[in-house]
Amino acid sequence: MVQLTLPKGSAPKKGKTWPKPQGATNLRQFRIYRYSPEEGGNPRWDTYWVDMDRAGTMILDVLFYIKNNVDPTLAFRRSCREGVCGSCAMNIAGQNTIACTKGFDELPGGVITIAPLPSQPVVKDLIPDLTSFYAQHAYVQPYLKTVTPDPEKEWKQSEEDREELNGLYECILCASCTTSCPSYWWNGDKYLGPAALLQAYRWLIDSRDEATGERLDDLEDPFKLYRCHTIMNCAQVCPKGLNPAKAIAKIKHMMVERVS
Amino acid sequence: MATTSRADPRPLSPHLQIWRFHITMAASITHRITGTALYFGSFLITAWIVALATNAEWYSVIESVISAWYGQVILFLWAVAVLYHFANGIRHLLWDGPHIGFDPKTASTVSVFIYLFAVFGAAAIFAATTLL
Repeated sequence: MVQLTLPKGSAPKKGKTWPKPQGATNLRQFRIYRYSPEEGGNPRWDTYWVDMDRAGTMILDVLFYIKNNVDPTLAFRRSCREGVCGSCAMNIAGQNTIACTKGFDELPGGVITIAPLPSQPVVKDLIPDLTSFYAQHAYVQPYLKTVTPDPEKEWKQSEEDREELNGLYECILCASCTTSCPSYWWNGDKYLGPAALLQAYRWLIDSRDEATGERLDDLEDPFKLYRCHTIMNCAQVCPKGLNPAKAIAKIKHMMVERVS
Repeated sequence: MATTSRADPRPLSPHLQIWRFHITMAASITHRITGTALYFGSFLITAWIVALATNAEWYSVIESVISAWYGQVILFLWAVAVLYHFANGIRHLLWDGPHIGFDPKTASTVSVFIYLFAVFGAAAIFAATTLL
């Protein structure tokens, strides 16, 4: 259901303002979402000042600067720091992306707000609980399904058929798109969301896959697929430049074509 | 894992409260709002036609409302809603049929044009009716 405001206990309150670093000339203000399960209570917005000359080049560097120099209790996920693993997805300056590839030069002016991925239960600080996101990914069965006996070597595919998978297989499951979708905010329990549907389409058009009909059956209800209203947030935010909105439109097309 | 009832459940992370709108997101909610406005607007136009066909007194009441400044404002917004919903509806057809216009930059640009078309189109209709 549409729930424009946050539930009781989830609205962030004004938090602590941390001291400015000494002797810095290029200071920038960051407002970061904080929540600690040990402390409980409402989440809060903490204010940090970062010496941009010493912080590095990417938003992930800012988070490390804060963790190393200002406040070691700040919690966030990260691993590869080069846009491959998808761990550091978060909401930066009001839009989802991965912190490790978001450069200082791409930021809008003013105070930069950093929050966890929207409309998810928060484990701690910038770490959301993505259990249902992964469950939805598992639901679309993102692996090859066949009925014909396995070939002696590999399943072969023409170059043209392989090209169909470009722009689909590159997804790193960072959840930026799915948690950017207002439709997913309101119906995240029933609508599969852009990331899972992009994967669904990746297997629907794979020339080697032989479960196309069953895959479409699994998406055929008022919510799982059709809650996409082409709002386009998914394609706007994808840090890998993929287009889930287009993939979803193509699934809808396949639905129409198989009944006509 | 033991099933524990959490006395302090996890908070929901902020969504609309922090989101910086893309113009495509604004265009989508505008489509929904103009669609709703047109639904209720159809009652008004029905009342106008029924009065025109049946009762001169009712018709003169509706005429006076339409010619008042607030009636004119409603008519202008209505024209904006019709043109917006029409243009964005065509875009939905292009999305769902030939899958045209999905590139984020293209979609953003088209959104700007649809807003401009709706506002200036409505203004042009009003200009034309006052000139005629």
